[in-house]
Amino acid sequence: MTDAKSQLTAHLARVAIRNLLGHPRRTLLTSGAIALGLASLIFLWGFNEGLHRNMLGNFQNAIIGTLQIHRQGFFQQPDLALTIDNPQQISEALERQGITRYSQRLDTFGLAASDHTTQGVMLIGMDPLNEPKVTELESRIGIGRFLQPDESYALILGATTANNLQVRLGDEVIMIGYDRYGAMIAESFTLVGIITSGEMGLDSGMAITSLATLQEMVDLQGQVTTFVIKVDEQRLPGLVTSLNDELTGQQLEIMPWYSMFPVMKEWVTLHNGFLYLFLGIVLFIVLAGELNTLLLSMLDRTREFGILMAIGTSRRQIAFLIVVEAVTIGIIGILLGTLLGSLIILLTGTIGIDLSTLLGSTSRFYVDPLIYPQLKLDHLGITASAILLASILSGIYPAWRASLLQPVEAIRNG
Amino acid sequence: MSEANQSTIIQTRDLHKCYWVGTMPYPALHGIDLQIRSGEFAVLAGRSGSGKSTLLNIIGGLESADRGQAEVLGEDILKMGNSQRSKFRLTNIGFIFQAYNLIRVLSARENVAYVCQLQGKSKQQSLEIANHWLHEVEIGHLGYRRPDQLSGGQQQRVAVARALATEPKIILADEPTANLDSTTGRHLIELMQRLNQTLETTFLISSHDPDVKQAASRLIKLSDGQIVDSWDEIPQPPRSLEATCPLRNRPFTERLRHLFTPRRKARQQNRQRTSRHS
Ligand SMILES: Nc1ncnc2c1ncn2[C@@H]1O[C@H](COP(=O)(O)OP(=O)(O)O)[C@@H](O)[C@H]1O
Ligand SMILES: [Mg+2]
Repeated sequence: MTDAKSQLTAHLARVAIRNLLGHPRRTLLTSGAIALGLASLIFLWGFNEGLHRNMLGNFQNAIIGTLQIHRQGFFQQPDLALTIDNPQQISEALERQGITRYSQRLDTFGLAASDHTTQGVMLIGMDPLNEPKVTELESRIGIGRFLQPDESYALILGATTANNLQVRLGDEVIMIGYDRYGAMIAESFTLVGIITSGEMGLDSGMAITSLATLQEMVDLQGQVTTFVIKVDEQRLPGLVTSLNDELTGQQLEIMPWYSMFPVMKEWVTLHNGFLYLFLGIVLFIVLAGELNTLLLSMLDRTREFGILMAIGTSRRQIAFLIVVEAVTIGIIGILLGTLLGSLIILLTGTIGIDLSTLLGSTSRFYVDPLIYPQLKLDHLGITASAILLASILSGIYPAWRASLLQPVEAIRNG
Repeated sequence: MSEANQSTIIQTRDLHKCYWVGTMPYPALHGIDLQIRSGEFAVLAGRSGSGKSTLLNIIGGLESADRGQAEVLGEDILKMGNSQRSKFRLTNIGFIFQAYNLIRVLSARENVAYVCQLQGKSKQQSLEIANHWLHEVEIGHLGYRRPDQLSGGQQQRVAVARALATEPKIILADEPTANLDSTTGRHLIELMQRLNQTLETTFLISSHDPDVKQAASRLIKLSDGQIVDSWDEIPQPPRSLEATCPLRNRPFTERLRHLFTPRRKARQQNRQRTSRHS
């Protein structure tokens, strides 16, 4: 651009901005409406993010972890014949990836029996030392305690199961199962803890003892069926790829949470879908609102545009004036809205939003009633660009209309 | 002003203009042959509706004509494209309208500076030029006021300053005193006259204000879209309506309507005829 040309552009932009300043009420109302829309978008998106994080976190932390490794086919059909051949190799691979939060398990089925009745359960042997690094099962035990190292034949049951069996802490529970050869075995356990999470999947059908105990019971000393790993969500896809590379040919399945429980992923996707729909609606409202303001303000400036054209302003320059107005309104709205939205999130993100009165029975979907909305830079970027785009679009139509004005008609009718 | 250095600056030949309201043609100008020489203070007089504004707007390149030529500074303004015309207006013509001429949100000096900045001058320089011209029109002290803080006469002075700020050869003023009381109007005319003499800018002013006519170096009488020598003269009726209002110049939408209407009517009539027979 030549010097004169850039000066001219700056001049027209200044006139456009003077127009906005000259009508402060109109400008503030439009920008304010945009800001409110944007702030609510940012907040909702952040809340949604917090909700998902909370839900997924709870879901993973309860028992399944972020990632599990088993022998090929074990997840579909848990079978003691499908133990991991070389657990040492997996541990080393994980250590090489810098993963320290992992634990080994032995998973099988069993029948829990008390004096009164029996119930089928998932029988899990956990490493009492490493398990707390991966899951927060310990915190879900409302009655009694978690397993202790070097403790044999101690048992943890879900509250529902314990109720059905009518057993209390310290009572004896007989676990009946099959060993690695398919022979039926029965051992006596002492109940040391009861899981009272309120989550259906945890409170019923779960029996947990120490890894060593279960290995001894089913005669699989030193063998495991499952690695449970905890990593940050962002690391997950990369980790899956590199573990697949490192452990190739071992006949292992490396399953992130969403491969094991695709419903959870679908739920998140569905939720996001609704959110994007809402984003679209808000954008549309912003667009319509700004378009309306610009068209109205044009209507009462028709004569002025005619005069501007008569004294030598070109059609393109008139169009430029209007687009600059639209974009400036948009930018003011974006600045105010981003500020407001971020403030709301930072505030609610530190103290949390308590949904316990609203949720109640939803807790079985692993939602903690305290939600911490998350402020994410990419949300701010995306919403700001969307609003900017919407305001450019809302300027284009009035600009086009104005550029079609006949100066004489405009002066006569305006 | 001596006759010798007066060259032609505006020349129209056989200028025709017609307005269409629906399918009805309204002839506004027929056969205007007008010559304005450089430095004139010419006044277009005529009753309301006689075609003054139309003629000024055509000369200023704000409106098209149906027939004829309008040469301004030797160039046929009717043959120019939109952007060429607006550039031409910016450099060569200053416009003053009846009222509400100014940009509401800009101060007086910013209004004047606006056109200089459109020409690509810097803000600083433009504001200096604006100050100069505001002093010329004797309201140098009001430069920081916005239009709504100025009286009608003061606003018209700002408009004059703005029209002059690009140092155009021609000023076109459409009834500049119509919204002013007679004293204020007289002062404005005196000012324009003085500027005409000192700057040698050509003024073409439309008005039916007697004071303006009085000040004219030449009075052009317009009656029913024609130039007459005296008000007693009854203008010649147009040779034919088609000469002033050629159908081909009818707006496209009207032509479409014209095309479709008879056929629809014909169809309707056909239907009526067949239903009567059955
Ligand atoms: N946009 C228009 N549509 C229809 N008729 C018009 C239009 N503009 C002007 N006219 C008609 O053209 C004639 C001349 O109008 P104008 O040039 O405004 O006259 P003046 O300025 O002398 O009052 C009048 O009869 C007027 O009614
Ligand atoms: Mg008029």
